[in-house]
Amino acid sequence: MGSVPVIELEAVGRHYEVGDSRVTALHDVDLSVEPGEFLVVLGPSGCGKTTLLNLIGALDTPSEGSVRVAGHALEGAGRKDLFRFRRETVSFVFQSFNLFPALTARENVQFAVDVARRGRPGPDASEVLERVGLATRMDHFSHQLSGGEQQRVAIARALATGNPVLLADEPTGELDFRTGVAILELLHEQAHAGVTVMIVTHNREISRVADRVVELSSGTVVGDGPPPGGTADIASLHW
Amino acid sequence: MRGLALWLRWSWRDLRARWLQVAAIALIIAIGSGTYSGLTSVSAWRQASYDASYDALDMYDLRVALTTGSFADADRLLAAAAAIPHAADIAAAEPRLEVPIQVDASTADELVLVPGRLVGVDVRDGGPHVSGIATVEGRGLRPDDAAGDTVVVDEHLVQRHDLAPTGTLRLSGGRELRYVGTGLSPENFFPVDDRGSVFADFAVVYAPLSTVQRVGGHPGQANRLVLRVRPGADRDAVEREIEDALAAELGDVGLTVTRQEDDQVLRLLYDDIEGDQRFYDIFAVLILAGATFAAFNLTVRIVEAQRREIGIGMALGVPPRTIAVRPMLVGAQVALLGVAFGVGVGLLIDELMADLLSGFFPLPVWEFAFRPGIFLRGAALGLALPLAATAVPVRRAVRVTPVEAVSTTHRTASGGLAPLLSRLPLPGSSVTQMPFRNVLREPRRTLLTALGIAAAITTLIGVIGMVDSFVATIAAGDDEIVGDTPDRLTVDLDGFALVDAPEVTAITDDPMLRAAETGLTLGGTLEPGDDGIDVALYTVDLQSDLWVPTAVEGDLDHDGPGLVLSEKAAADLGVGVGDDVTLRHPRREGVGYRWVESELAVLALHPNPYRFIVYLDDEWASLFDLEGVVNTVRVAPADGVTVPDVQRDLFGQEGVASVVPVTDLARSVRDQIDEVFGIFRVIEGAVLLMALLIAFNATSINLDERARENATLFAFGLPVSRVVLVAVTESLVIGVLGTVTGVIAGRLLLAWLMAAIVPGTLPDIGVVTYLSASTVATALVLGVLAVTIAPLLTVRRLRRMDIPSTLRVVE
Repeated sequence: MGSVPVIELEAVGRHYEVGDSRVTALHDVDLSVEPGEFLVVLGPSGCGKTTLLNLIGALDTPSEGSVRVAGHALEGAGRKDLFRFRRETVSFVFQSFNLFPALTARENVQFAVDVARRGRPGPDASEVLERVGLATRMDHFSHQLSGGEQQRVAIARALATGNPVLLADEPTGELDFRTGVAILELLHEQAHAGVTVMIVTHNREISRVADRVVELSSGTVVGDGPPPGGTADIASLHW
Repeated sequence: MRGLALWLRWSWRDLRARWLQVAAIALIIAIGSGTYSGLTSVSAWRQASYDASYDALDMYDLRVALTTGSFADADRLLAAAAAIPHAADIAAAEPRLEVPIQVDASTADELVLVPGRLVGVDVRDGGPHVSGIATVEGRGLRPDDAAGDTVVVDEHLVQRHDLAPTGTLRLSGGRELRYVGTGLSPENFFPVDDRGSVFADFAVVYAPLSTVQRVGGHPGQANRLVLRVRPGADRDAVEREIEDALAAELGDVGLTVTRQEDDQVLRLLYDDIEGDQRFYDIFAVLILAGATFAAFNLTVRIVEAQRREIGIGMALGVPPRTIAVRPMLVGAQVALLGVAFGVGVGLLIDELMADLLSGFFPLPVWEFAFRPGIFLRGAALGLALPLAATAVPVRRAVRVTPVEAVSTTHRTASGGLAPLLSRLPLPGSSVTQMPFRNVLREPRRTLLTALGIAAAITTLIGVIGMVDSFVATIAAGDDEIVGDTPDRLTVDLDGFALVDAPEVTAITDDPMLRAAETGLTLGGTLEPGDDGIDVALYTVDLQSDLWVPTAVEGDLDHDGPGLVLSEKAAADLGVGVGDDVTLRHPRREGVGYRWVESELAVLALHPNPYRFIVYLDDEWASLFDLEGVVNTVRVAPADGVTVPDVQRDLFGQEGVASVVPVTDLARSVRDQIDEVFGIFRVIEGAVLLMALLIAFNATSINLDERARENATLFAFGLPVSRVVLVAVTESLVIGVLGTVTGVIAGRLLLAWLMAAIVPGTLPDIGVVTYLSASTVATALVLGVLAVTIAPLLTVRRLRRMDIPSTLRVVE
């Protein structure tokens, strides 16, 4: 590696005020991610994984520390800049898919293209859907698709933006094993294609296929490195 | 272009997904904007219809009336007019002879004995050419009618008593007149009797001039001259010259010249437009406000339902303005739909109002043309208000942080006020308690639903409460007038008479009567006051056994002269019992009268809401120098004698102008007001429908938001009936909250309307603020029952629910 990191977090903390008490979701997190890395953030529920993802995706702002993604310093950035950042730099894949239910699969993807490209030519939504294996399901609405298909649409939507960072929050959490594996393959392919892919999950098995695993516990990084035993092949996964 | 197409498609799907709620909001907007357009255009077409009617019948420009009882040679009147310097400016001049009559138009079903006026007009050459007569039914007058007793009856009498369009009338004295049709003439577009009462049952009968001269015993004579002035002519000069010429011609005979714009009936009709419009404006604003709030409330809910999708848009980096496009497009389309429906609602309201008004004010010309300008204004309001209502929640939705917007749990995280309930030892299982917990768990949602219902109920109470208040006011007036002697009759004489004159004693000594009390009715003005208060002063025996006004304050027993005022008059004058007021009244002086002022104490206050009614004990008639002079007699039938018997007995007696049962007086007012209330009922119908839609919609959205929870209950094996029961109970609680809030707010609104708006619109009436039990019951039924049973409409949807899909995170 050795290139300029695409994601850099320095001493990042995130606290919430709940009534009279203060809840710390993240504390003093340092993280540096290289372009094209396939990174898994691993940890149990409530350890701060999603908060970390939200901070990197500029959905949330840190209480302290700095977050820099693809050269953009997010702390202190204006609302307008943050919207632009999300449009042009990161893409999300959510556990619950978060498709627009009133749009077809093709329209969901096309919408993301239109938003990210803003008039500039972009990939054809149909082609992207074909790439994720949904050539025959393009004109279906989300309620007409299975969970795995919906997640494929969500991934297609993320890919179609052409953004350099893909953030996936428990992307296999609502899927059966076979579908989950297929989704992981898709995400893995993106990393090979140069997209930085960051997955947060509580499923330790998934972390076996990552280039790097960052382990969180109670809002603190407790481990950072390649998976024990080296990166496994996706075909070897089982859960 | 592709982007726009996507947005439009998307918003159409949004509309389709919630078509029932969308249709309901659109209808609410339609009722709001349509009622506004419909009610606002009423004034426009009334004005146009009046203008056209007056134009069509060539309403006089100047009208000369000789003093009551005076007549002049008809040809001399015409010659005098023709001789003025500006005679060339006169387009037409016609003499008239008007004489008071009593008419018996009784049918097999109804005794119709009414005072009236026989109007002799020039029918030569297709006349009258000034203030013509429009034929409504049958035929108009022809020159050859002069040979016989052929007449045309004013349409109002025929309509009021449902008479045949042709037939025979009998005048007092037995003379019969054959009426060949019914008609309308500008001076009688609204029937006003010889004392100026607009509510009187009064017969206007048109006949050739020579017929009236023959019937009235005034051959060749007239007592009116009506003129039309050429357009652009100097009317002031014509008026001045006519007045001078006739004064010179007639010598001692007094005369008054009335301009068209000062015509009593014309002013009454045009002023009525203005007064009615104030009420229409109030109703239109109330309904529009209710509709706007409802649209706002419902849009908030729809936008909130899209909260997560807005969050996804934020996560994708869609700029807030672009995110706002979708809900705003939905809002715009709902508004457009509402405005389109609104035109229909407006036209429907227009048509209903037209039916009612043309029945109430029969006119020769009604112009109900569509008023695009007014409807455009209504449409603009119908568009702007819901759009503004959409913009507020949209703006709020796009201002939350993306992480909050995309969250699936943030709104339920705190549990709302549910912890309060957990401390209460409520009976029943957790399922039984669930509706109450639901209500408290999300106070904002509860509040929005309750406010939606409350808005509808507030409008309902405000509008129908006004109707209730008017009805109660009239009832109070009826009760006071009728008192304990509903068989009483009022006999008005055709002029002043000595109390011992034969025509008076013929009444007072009539064996068919058990009681007869003479009195005076005079006009006057009470001061102080901004402009003084015009009053009708009645002298009555305040110790009478027949009838006395009720003293709600003060005492009718007294030693000196004093007045019994209405509570409204006292309040307006700022006086109470014991205070002095200045009464400006006529006082006999020689053969005429002079206006004088007398300081009189307020003896008591009566509850009649009409502030112009003032009583003075008859022993103080000396104030007017009219001791022993009367012009009215209050009578009651003897035992075994009926009211119609008395009417027939006194009909046609010398000196009697009219014999009217007091219950008829009250009924007459009520009939007239009921016509006006017919118009209010149209508005009431619109409000009821709107309230029902708001209540249904608010509940329906509430249920949609509970879809996932209901799916969870199904997952736990609860039957549909139990889940519906939970929903019904929750709706009941919210319905009660909303209805109670609405009734309280509506009552406050009503009080404000009555205190701030009505006094300026109806200064002569002390309208009581009253909310009838039936209105409250309607509000309760609507607000509680309709809302409570609304979940039942969703049973089918619940039965068909795809539980696994619904259980997934709602997108």
